[in-house]
Amino acid sequence: MAETLQIAFRGKAVVSESRHLLLSVSPGAIWIVVFLVLPSLYLMAVAFMTNGPYGLPQMPLTLDAFEQLAGFGFLGWSPGNLYTLLRSLWQTFLATVLVVIVAYPIAYYITTCREKWRAIMLLLVVVPSWTNQVIRTFGWMNLLAPGTPLSDAAQMLGLIPPNMGLYPSNFAVTLGLVYNFLPFMVLPLYAAFEKLDTAQVQAAQDLYASPVRAFWHAVFPQTLPGLLAGTVLVAIPAFGMYVIPELLGGGKGMMLGNLVANQFAGGSNWPLGAAGAILMLIATFIGLFAMRRIGKRLGGGEEVVI
Amino acid sequence: MFSDSTTTRMGESCMSDSASAAKVETPSPASRRADDVGETSERTRREPSSIELKGLHKRFGRDTVALDDVDLTIEAGEFFTLLGPSGCGKTTLLRILAGLEEPDDGRLLIGGEDITDIPPHRRSVNTVFQSYALFPHLSVRDNLAFGLRMRGESAAERRRKVDEVAEFIQLGSLVERRVDQLSGGQRQRIALARALICEPNVLLLDEPLSALDAGLRGQLQVELQRIQKRLGMTFVFVTHDQDEAMVMSDRIAVLDAGIIQQVGTPNEVYEHPRNAFVARFMGHDNLFAIHASQEDWVDTELGRLRLDPAEQRQEQEGWLLVRPETLELNADLSEDYNRLEGQVRERLYRGSRVEYRLEVNGVTVMATASNVGQRLHNVGDKVAVGVHPEDLVRVAS
Amino acid sequence: MKKRTLQRGLSGFWWLTLVFLYLPLAVVVFFSFNAANSAARFTGFSLRWYERLLGNEQIISAFWNSLVLAIVSSVIALAIGCLIGYGMYRHRHRKLGWLIVLIYLPIVLPDIVFGISEMAFFVSVHRHTGLLQPGLLTMIISHVTFQIPFVALIVYSRLVGLDPTLFEAAKDLYATPVKRAWHFLLPTIKPALISAFFLSFTLSIDDFVISFFTSGPESATLPIYIWGAIKKGVTPEINAIAALMIGAVALAAMLSLLFNRQGQR
Repeated sequence: MAETLQIAFRGKAVVSESRHLLLSVSPGAIWIVVFLVLPSLYLMAVAFMTNGPYGLPQMPLTLDAFEQLAGFGFLGWSPGNLYTLLRSLWQTFLATVLVVIVAYPIAYYITTCREKWRAIMLLLVVVPSWTNQVIRTFGWMNLLAPGTPLSDAAQMLGLIPPNMGLYPSNFAVTLGLVYNFLPFMVLPLYAAFEKLDTAQVQAAQDLYASPVRAFWHAVFPQTLPGLLAGTVLVAIPAFGMYVIPELLGGGKGMMLGNLVANQFAGGSNWPLGAAGAILMLIATFIGLFAMRRIGKRLGGGEEVVI
Repeated sequence: MFSDSTTTRMGESCMSDSASAAKVETPSPASRRADDVGETSERTRREPSSIELKGLHKRFGRDTVALDDVDLTIEAGEFFTLLGPSGCGKTTLLRILAGLEEPDDGRLLIGGEDITDIPPHRRSVNTVFQSYALFPHLSVRDNLAFGLRMRGESAAERRRKVDEVAEFIQLGSLVERRVDQLSGGQRQRIALARALICEPNVLLLDEPLSALDAGLRGQLQVELQRIQKRLGMTFVFVTHDQDEAMVMSDRIAVLDAGIIQQVGTPNEVYEHPRNAFVARFMGHDNLFAIHASQEDWVDTELGRLRLDPAEQRQEQEGWLLVRPETLELNADLSEDYNRLEGQVRERLYRGSRVEYRLEVNGVTVMATASNVGQRLHNVGDKVAVGVHPEDLVRVAS
Repeated sequence: MKKRTLQRGLSGFWWLTLVFLYLPLAVVVFFSFNAANSAARFTGFSLRWYERLLGNEQIISAFWNSLVLAIVSSVIALAIGCLIGYGMYRHRHRKLGWLIVLIYLPIVLPDIVFGISEMAFFVSVHRHTGLLQPGLLTMIISHVTFQIPFVALIVYSRLVGLDPTLFEAAKDLYATPVKRAWHFLLPTIKPALISAFFLSFTLSIDDFVISFFTSGPESATLPIYIWGAIKKGVTPEINAIAALMIGAVALAAMLSLLFNRQGQR
């Protein structure tokens, strides 16, 4: 009798713990499911629907949107969308590499400064990204427009034809991307440098004659997790970027984000836009998955991504 | 370095203060409280409570047994210690007393009242945590008053009690500091004061001294014991340090694998450990397997030894405990003594005493001699080893 | 000797990078005081664009929309996210993989996919039920969605950093569950709540893409207004409003520095 009572009591305790979990977590979980998971699933469904009037999706289900995305239209195949995709990949790659090249020495330099300056230096790096993306990009438009000192200089060097500005161009998009994502690389790299095992570095300096080799064997491997985290933070949002190519790129600087957004903003073709979004999601998850795998192989994968 | 030394000195000055306070005839806080408050508050006249544990079981997950059928009675006003290695269940037992863990089976009575199903915030039991668990968002004063505030006592009452406990535990100006300005030893005192101020029926202490350095720990051991005696409160103390347990406790329960191995006063547990585990845990190395035994002798690896017939047990097998300090080396001994031949293999000079590692009949035996007037034996010396039958103890496996 | 050269080179590179980071913002602020209607040539100091700003009802309403959106969404996200963060902490020993995936989803989803999903969803729901007409409400809903994870993670990491016996000490010292929440939990995580609120607020003000796709005709925020103005053809008025927003960020940066300094002391 006492035993059954005990079990009943414990049973109740377990239930109340589960209820606690449910009560605390469910408002947020339901919110995200209703307002993000369902909409995303709906968007995926839209990709398989037919384009109706005003770009709104209709039945029946079809693969038209994907064919259009691949470039097949009324007039046969055109390479425009393929170019857009390739341009997105190239811009993402280029911007990520450039961001690493700038961020790596900056992150290192901050760690060599005195402790009380470091927080301020990090803040200085981050503050521009607190301003709105549109305003930041607008700033670059002002700087690169025709008639500005930068454009004049480029004209003198013969980099661009006379009376043109540095924007709109692919160059301006790359610059905008680097500008936008620099802090996202500096922060994780800084964290990696700060954790750097100096004993190991000193040992390497004793072991290897040249500082380059000491760096390569002792410093670089230790900063790899930070580099990887930064790459995820830069490459994934850069691939889906909309604002920067829209403002700085012009017609020939379009990226996948613009292709997708224009189908919705202009109200022209939701299924096509949704198909593009699926492509973007696939790329995102492949990217995340790859980074996670690499991160795990490096050890401490958990802290690298997610 | 500097902060370390100041910490210790701080502790020392506090100690000497409290020592002198103890000598001067100040009325004990219990009696003073009774004078002050008179009959108005029931809580102040509360007697210390006894604790009864009946058939407690506790498992974690499917396979880990933390407590296995524990029966135990702790007397009111006793300084009781739960002693054992980590993972033996002592902390689980303490947490069950506090109400922070629910037993799977069994009952828990405090002051004769069954409180098994009472949640911790309704038990008149307070805990001094190993990590001290001082609230970082509160000042020391608010930390001390937290329990009183949660019980709904008035601000004036809280202020009076905080001042009182501050005087009692010699906190001095610490009360007005922030928690992050305190050293380890000071945190420990605040944690103790925060628990005592609630005047619980039972005070639980979960390895409260383990984070302190050896010198400070020694001082606080004495102080804790003194506080317990002055308040007459029931203390349940958890530790893995047998010296600490022996110094402070009225009684000790030695636990292993969720089972109480032995309960007794410090000298019972030390001198007459009930089994090999308790003996080893109390620091005894000289345990020798018994091959055969009769009314008044046993055969061991050392040879045949006579022992006190009162020490006879039912079991044939087991261990013979020879405490190192009972061995006499090269002494004029009466006929009663067991005599053995040995050779010194190693000598450890400890100042007040000297430890020898001897080889007797091919077996290693430890012997301790107090360092008074005797000539030290050198490594390689042959020595006559004597031990009185009454000093030999049989220990179950 | 070699090391000093390296250090000097790095220092030079650092200042160059700072110029790179602040030049676009400085240009915007600079030309907001330009007397001429030009973003290329500075003809003289003037506040006339700021005056024009105050007379522009669209900008004023966009400002209020931004503010209401940021505050309301941050408050809702704070309440919901705080609960999740606590739930994650309390039940951290259980398998909560599904919850982690759910919480990271808004963070990893590209802005643009996030935005158009919401748009497609709200438009369709509105078409079929008449509810959720695109406007301030739908913007608030989407902003809360991307703010929740940040709040939850900040609260969670604060709780994980606490000594777990503090919770037990509160129980031990006679605090009932309600009193524990009020006298222990909330005061202890207050710093996390404050920074979570400010982060949510910043994220909301900072956002353009998601707002853009979920807004209605009446609910343009400042970034949306600026976007439209840029698309129509740049006017120096935008310099002025952008300069004000940059000023607000600079102020926030100073405050955060001050706040940090005090926290360290």
